[in-house]
Amino acid sequence: MDELTRWGDSLKEVIEAALEAARLAGADYADARVVDSSREELEVASGRVEAVERSDSFGLGVRVLAQGAWGFSASREVTVAEAVRVARRAVGIAKASALVSGEPVRLSALEAARGTWAGPCEIDPFTVPLEDKLALLTAAEEALRAEPKVTVTKAHCGFYRERKWFGSSEGAFTEQSWFESGAGIVALAIEDGEVVTRSYPNSHGGGWKQAGYEYVRDLDLVGNAARVAAQAAELLTAPECESGTVDLIIDGSQMGLQVHESIGHPTELDRVLGEEAAFAGTSWVKAQDVGTLVYGSEHVTVTADSTVDGSLGSFGWDDEGVPAQRDEIVSRGILTGLLTSRETAGTIGRTSNGCMRADGWNRIPLVRMTTVSLEPGTWDFDDLVADTGEGLYIETNNSWSIDDKRLNFQFACEVGWEIKGGKLGRMVKMPNYTGMTPEFWASCDAVCSADHWQVWGLNNCGKGEPMQVAHVAHGAAPTRFRGVSVGVGR
Amino acid sequence: MMTPEAARELARKVVALTHADEAEVLVAAESSALTRFANNRINQNVAEDNALVNVRAVMGTRIGVASTNRLDDASLAACCEAAVAAARIAPEDPSFPGLPLPEPVIEAVRASASVREFDAEARARAVAAIIEPSRARGLTAAGKVRVGTHVVAIANSHGIDVGMEVTGVQATVLSMGATGSGWASYLSQGTEEFDPAAIGEEAADLAVRSANPTDLDPGTYPVVLGPEAVADIMDFLGFMGFSAKAYEEGRSFLSNELESQVMREWVNIVDDAISPHAMGLTFDYEGVPKMRVSLIEEGVALRPVTDSYWAHKSGFINSGHALPAPNSFGPLPLNLEMMPGDETLEQLIGRVKYGVYVTRFHYVNVEDPVPVTLTGMTRDGTFLIEDGKLTRPLKNLRFTQSAVEALYELEALTTERKFVGTEEGATLVPGVMLSAFTFTGQTT
Repeated sequence: MDELTRWGDSLKEVIEAALEAARLAGADYADARVVDSSREELEVASGRVEAVERSDSFGLGVRVLAQGAWGFSASREVTVAEAVRVARRAVGIAKASALVSGEPVRLSALEAARGTWAGPCEIDPFTVPLEDKLALLTAAEEALRAEPKVTVTKAHCGFYRERKWFGSSEGAFTEQSWFESGAGIVALAIEDGEVVTRSYPNSHGGGWKQAGYEYVRDLDLVGNAARVAAQAAELLTAPECESGTVDLIIDGSQMGLQVHESIGHPTELDRVLGEEAAFAGTSWVKAQDVGTLVYGSEHVTVTADSTVDGSLGSFGWDDEGVPAQRDEIVSRGILTGLLTSRETAGTIGRTSNGCMRADGWNRIPLVRMTTVSLEPGTWDFDDLVADTGEGLYIETNNSWSIDDKRLNFQFACEVGWEIKGGKLGRMVKMPNYTGMTPEFWASCDAVCSADHWQVWGLNNCGKGEPMQVAHVAHGAAPTRFRGVSVGVGR
Repeated sequence: MMTPEAARELARKVVALTHADEAEVLVAAESSALTRFANNRINQNVAEDNALVNVRAVMGTRIGVASTNRLDDASLAACCEAAVAAARIAPEDPSFPGLPLPEPVIEAVRASASVREFDAEARARAVAAIIEPSRARGLTAAGKVRVGTHVVAIANSHGIDVGMEVTGVQATVLSMGATGSGWASYLSQGTEEFDPAAIGEEAADLAVRSANPTDLDPGTYPVVLGPEAVADIMDFLGFMGFSAKAYEEGRSFLSNELESQVMREWVNIVDDAISPHAMGLTFDYEGVPKMRVSLIEEGVALRPVTDSYWAHKSGFINSGHALPAPNSFGPLPLNLEMMPGDETLEQLIGRVKYGVYVTRFHYVNVEDPVPVTLTGMTRDGTFLIEDGKLTRPLKNLRFTQSAVEALYELEALTTERKFVGTEEGATLVPGVMLSAFTFTGQTT
């Protein structure tokens, strides 16, 4: 905690000044975060370098409770003098909040955190020459363009580094740092007003991990480009997914998003309590459902785990200083937990399970997913396809939508294959499916084994106003659902 | 808070610091505050001061970009060096036309002092007024009151030197009962005409009328869409279809369809940042004055919007629709308007024998890019229309529908229009009546 700002004050002095100023201004509780982040993005698209970008952000956020209500203020100037001003403003805002308040906010008990934490990283991605990164992307993008029917191509990689210092009026002081690395390729085949897409290793930003450059190197973008491009070209002539009810096997990446939207978000306790009602919505789950609600079949066990090594949802402490932990949210189909904060956990008679995270120094922490995973089952993928006999297998998300209570959802994927006679058969384009959350999860009757299970990083989870984008993750394997409505709107 | 003059001076200074063949600097400063409420109380209340410097360095036709929010001299110099270093390793881009040249500035006042004076206590009083109509009816209200001041300046090594201040106030309210909900919103440059009690009343009234919703079989029905629902459709048309990049790549419904009838003849869509009623910047993020662009005229596709790169590439003149560099999305329209009709919302409803009224949509996403096939849910006030009248509330419906095809079914528009969005990207829309719109599911 003795790192100096550019203005000469140590970060510890800045944080302590903020906490003391908040106390003197009338705060009953205060915490202060200094966040120093850097981002690098490179993108090659259709033969042209579209982005070589480096961005840095540094600032201080102070959150206070005064007169039983919250206030928050943030500034990019990280000095003792500015910390005092920001803290006083936060207390003033909290006192204004108290003009329209309900029951005073109470925080569940917490032992003050102290220590440091760092995420895994073999090769600092910011030390890898830009030339090497561009060479990798260019090679992958050229390999996509080798397929003549692929007319729009994209290869990108991104790197993120965050260092965060946290202190609270309860005596917490922590320092955390980590790297995130990600990359992906996308091929679009366009013909006669029709656009089809294939991506690797995932859509909407590719694959992401808490890791160094080694993750991007090992994705083998170049080696996967020909397959991705060929599948995009094949999709142009593939038939559309027919409308009907089928037994559906969903690949791990799409399962990650399915878990995210229909289990992760509805089990955020702030949503459950109506705190996000106006923007993201509420939840079909009630706080009193814990321990009794049948969320899905016996094959559905879901964990929230911020200790997964190398996962985007991992940390040492959340942004309230709650230590990382693993918690079971759904156990063999029964709702057993929720994602909580210090403020919300008390409503279910628990202490926080450490899900509060903020998108940078200028945002307050919100209840966010960590690594929320559908635990693996026992099936081998080929055996599952054989056992299904007739059905549909789909891969890679294309589109997602779900109602404000997280009940009625509709997802579309990039590609599907019919299952005929227990084998994957003809390719189909733009398969979509729809359902209602509890009925859908009740229809889950098979999850593939740990051999097919992996953690999928997702760095675009939006929530809150002002909008915050969280980096979360989901472990998932191919999973089967019986009697699913597909080909909606065809 | 930085003044526009100070931001322009900073931008010029950083251009001079950038040792490149060409340089462009964007300075974006923000002072904003947002009071959020839920369960009839303020639950979050935040304020922020930030400023960003974004440098685009050009070496020959090689381009690099770097940005920072640290504005001391050493950090600015490091940022310039990072942009130049990125440019040095980038490959040549023969299609890069060079940074744009200065053009006459379009003067406009887009800021109101009332926003700066709307402090935490004023926001709390506004929240109390918004909540009261819900509380009085036994409902719970959630929403926000946000104020923001943005200063944007752009300078480049060819002499572009522009800057302006933009302010905005935005309020939303969701009023919820046990079985129904209602919604209202407000967006303006200043707080002078902001009537929090009125939007609280509108939402609460809608929530009461939405109670005990009933089923409707999926199918294709005539619909009347309120302005908030129309704004969602317009925003996706803008994002998917009105960019010259999407047009050139064949991903837009405009591709190969210019001068064709793509929507009903009553549909007129423009992007217009310079009209007296517009909000936001009058120049784009390259410092080029924004043009009023007619995108759809009497249902006929006319042109996409451009920035300097995609103007050069497509042959359309530069309409001034650049986003901040680096920009892989291409140009985007941020001031879309659907031109009004001559009816009231009640007259639109009166046209429908048996159909659906939609207040707004929720969680809309694109399933098929060229026809802009969207799926999403209705929310906060969905009603059955029978014999020209709203007769009963409906449970929220899922739609799966091409936006382009929907606007081919447009029958009438309201005279009255509403701004939806933020002061940096506000869409101005009427209510519309469509003769066919496909609902594919319903929630419980």
